[in-house]
Amino acid sequence: MSGSLLSAVQVLLVAVGGLLLTGVMAKVRARAEGRVGAPVTQPLREVAKWLTRESPRAGGASVLAAVPYVLLVTTGLAAAVVPLAGVVTAGSSGADVLIAVFLLLTGSLALALGGLATGTAFGGMGASRAMTLSALTEPALLVGLAALAVPQRSMDLATILRRAVAHPAGMASPSHVLAIASLLVVVIAETGRLPVDNPSTHLELTMIHEAMVLEYGGRDWALLSLGQAMRLGLLFSLLATLAVPWGVATSGAALPVLAGVVLLGAKSVVLATGVALIEVRSAKLRLFRVPELLAAAFVLAILAVVVGVVAR
Amino acid sequence: MSGLGDGLIDLAAVAVLAVAVAGLWRRDVRALVGLLRLQGWALALVAAVAAVRGRDVGLGVTAALVLVVKAGVVPVLLGRVARRDPGAREGAPLINVPASLVIAAALVALAVVVGAPLHALDPTASTALAPLGLATVLTGYLLLVTRRRALSQVVGLLVIDNGIALTTFLLTSGVPLIVELGGTLDVLLVVVVIRALLGTMRARFGGIDLDGLSELRD
Amino acid sequence: MAVLVLLAPVVAALLLVVVRPGALAAAISVAAALVVLAGGVALGVTTHGGRVVHALGGLVRVDALSAVMVIVIGTVATLATAAMGHALGPTPDAPSRRLARQYGALVQVFVAAMLGAVLAANLGVVWVMVEATTIATTFLVGHARTRPAIEASWKYVVLCSVGIALAFLGLVLLYFASAHAGAGPSAATLDWASLRSLAVHLDPRVTRLGVALVILGFGTKVGLAPLQSWLPDAHSQAPAPVSALMSGVLLTVALYAIVRVKAIADVALGVGFVRALLLTLGLLSLGVAAVMMIAQRDLKRLLAYSSIEHMGLLALAVAAGSPLAVSAALLHVVGHGLAKSALFLGAGEVHHAESSTRIADIGALLRRRPALGGVLGAGLAALAGFPPFSLFASELAMFRAEVDAGLAWAVALALLALVVVVTALVRAARQLLLGPGEPAADQAPARALAPMVAALAASAVLGVVAWPLASLLHAAAGVVG
Repeated sequence: MSGSLLSAVQVLLVAVGGLLLTGVMAKVRARAEGRVGAPVTQPLREVAKWLTRESPRAGGASVLAAVPYVLLVTTGLAAAVVPLAGVVTAGSSGADVLIAVFLLLTGSLALALGGLATGTAFGGMGASRAMTLSALTEPALLVGLAALAVPQRSMDLATILRRAVAHPAGMASPSHVLAIASLLVVVIAETGRLPVDNPSTHLELTMIHEAMVLEYGGRDWALLSLGQAMRLGLLFSLLATLAVPWGVATSGAALPVLAGVVLLGAKSVVLATGVALIEVRSAKLRLFRVPELLAAAFVLAILAVVVGVVAR
Repeated sequence: MSGLGDGLIDLAAVAVLAVAVAGLWRRDVRALVGLLRLQGWALALVAAVAAVRGRDVGLGVTAALVLVVKAGVVPVLLGRVARRDPGAREGAPLINVPASLVIAAALVALAVVVGAPLHALDPTASTALAPLGLATVLTGYLLLVTRRRALSQVVGLLVIDNGIALTTFLLTSGVPLIVELGGTLDVLLVVVVIRALLGTMRARFGGIDLDGLSELRD
Repeated sequence: MAVLVLLAPVVAALLLVVVRPGALAAAISVAAALVVLAGGVALGVTTHGGRVVHALGGLVRVDALSAVMVIVIGTVATLATAAMGHALGPTPDAPSRRLARQYGALVQVFVAAMLGAVLAANLGVVWVMVEATTIATTFLVGHARTRPAIEASWKYVVLCSVGIALAFLGLVLLYFASAHAGAGPSAATLDWASLRSLAVHLDPRVTRLGVALVILGFGTKVGLAPLQSWLPDAHSQAPAPVSALMSGVLLTVALYAIVRVKAIADVALGVGFVRALLLTLGLLSLGVAAVMMIAQRDLKRLLAYSSIEHMGLLALAVAAGSPLAVSAALLHVVGHGLAKSALFLGAGEVHHAESSTRIADIGALLRRRPALGGVLGAGLAALAGFPPFSLFASELAMFRAEVDAGLAWAVALALLALVVVVTALVRAARQLLLGPGEPAADQAPARALAPMVAALAASAVLGVVAWPLASLLHAAAGVVG
């Protein structure tokens, strides 16, 4: 299987998988709370439904129209180059940690701009809150990834994964555990889950992410939801892959890649279930406590790097 | 065995530092005491593994001592003080929590730089971990200077002490037994003295919030 | 002999726990201090030729430097315990009796810990003992059980424990360096003499880190800026005899530890490193003390800041490090111990008589309480470095040694600070002593004034003839020079 085909598979996987993971998490939460809940495919159906509708746009229309596409393109690109199911993707020689972070950050920036564009109070508030948190999550994300990179002596995700698969003992090292813990917090914050943000609330005083996307409707909304789902899918599957690199196809052959796809799906579902259970058990942090959590993630990441350097 | 020993020491040493950092995050005074107990266990584990590995009886005695004093007596004593005012929480620390966590990260980096000559002098796996001990000491200082409650400050003091002990075990497999005994006794006595002092404070001032301590100044 | 010196206060502490407060208890505590003083003199006689006495299986090591410190401890302890008679006298009720017992016993434990620090052969044990002095004195500082006293003892125990923890970390690093000094890991040691003989082989980078931490850590106990903030509180809140012991000797016991470490560091790192560190700390302390003294309104706090000033001067002399500088510094330690304990005891009497130590509340002491006022005036003159008191001679000798060591600029800065300090002391003396007034009815008894007069007289005699101490101080300087 060629690199570009694998990349295409990954993008598709992340898009559909992201929507399904959102559904899985909603389902797990519902079950844990004693409800039946919507079917797992509900987000897919919603996106499909809204795609056919017209988009009402307020002021700042051009920015509003562009935001979902920017989000989709950057996240899709990231999903294409980052090794998830197999390491031999189209951009595998350039799957640098920094590129992945840069692409994700561009998406966040687009969302914040969209929030500001309409000039409404909620949009601005959400954008300001999101950027404040982003200032703390991005360094934690970078340093956390660096902590994984240091022991493998490479900033290239493909190389990191290839070496990690070859030496599975590294997964039990303190550095690895700390780095994954820090990345988990980052992923929770970036995808706007509890206890950082509540995805199912529209209570204006507490929401962060939802405040930025209030103004979208119709097709715009569908694309935006898809973009966000892809983001979630990408972050979850990347974290799952980094945490437990087993099963990542190290060659381009069809069978290992197929196995990689299946395993990736399984790992991501496990992770999503875990995060959903965390959500069930935790209340949303008061907004001023959120930076504390993210700073803690940052320190964990720094610790991971330090331990990775000293515990050789 | 050596592989397992290395892994255990790695894990326990990291735990000592991680617990210290967690102390910066927690506000509940009783949670801090719990963290201190955890740190005592991790520290005793480091000493015990080093003792078994070096067939060092003195260090074995030290490990037992650490377990009894730092994971046992000291947390129990402080826990009793903490129980007297339930729900005692750190109000606003002098530096807010995110900032102090970021400072802690910088301190950890500083410890690595400062600790570099130690590893250079004796390049072994355990001296490489010594910066973790130094970082614990620095984190303890940060905890101590940013907290307003008396008990949190005491916890900071003990974290510093645990950091020094960790450095000692990692670098030299412990100092001479007489010094170790004396040092542990001192720590124990300091805690006893402080506990009595806190009792007097509560009797006199009706609380142990250090913001009340502002009569002496020039 | 060394063991006897150590045992005397320990035995006295045990006795004071059981003996009912009263004349007997007071006699026991003075007797123990006298035994220490006599033992110190005997040790001085033994060691002034350069002999080293070992005891307790090598744990105790006495050379001329330790002997000088034992003598200073013995002297100040004698003065302080002699002044404690009224605190240890008969008490009306059980709680105050318990408090008096605790007081008497803890002072002896405190003295024992200081002796342990100066007699120990092992730097680790020195550290343990210095930390033990903190523990013993915490309750003594808070003895008055008033709000400010409790506050002072809290600050004292936390800041000192925290500061001195640094010293322990530094010692661990030195121990680590000694394990890799070429003689194999079994040669790892914290023994002062062995460390010194190994010093040339110590790894300079690790040693530099260790020595810096040790000096900063013990510097906290010395009261060197920037870690001095506990000192004025603790020294002003403690009962007068305890203040005398803390200001008069405890600070210099911590300085003794620094001198010992410096002797190792000078061989391992060259003289420049510790000199730069001590010059910085010393000049900073002088500056802080001068600024705080000129603005000071409380007599005991004034005296406490004056201790910081004198520790700054001593740090400069130790930084110079020549034999003349060290022997002058030791003479200064003796003179400061005498003058400062006399003044703190005097301040205690003032507090007793006037129920205040605020300088503005007192005034006209020379008219109202001529004997006490005279002693205070003489003490302040001694502290300001006026002749004939020995502080004058020692300051002069220290400055000369520093100029010889090429530190004339530091001397110039120190003199600048001293001008401010002397101004502050003279102003305080004028406010305390001069003014109109009638003799008060309750003059301080001669028994209370005797220790102070004795101390100041001794200081004056030492200032004119350093004879009884000269050869011992010389030998002590040779130990570390």
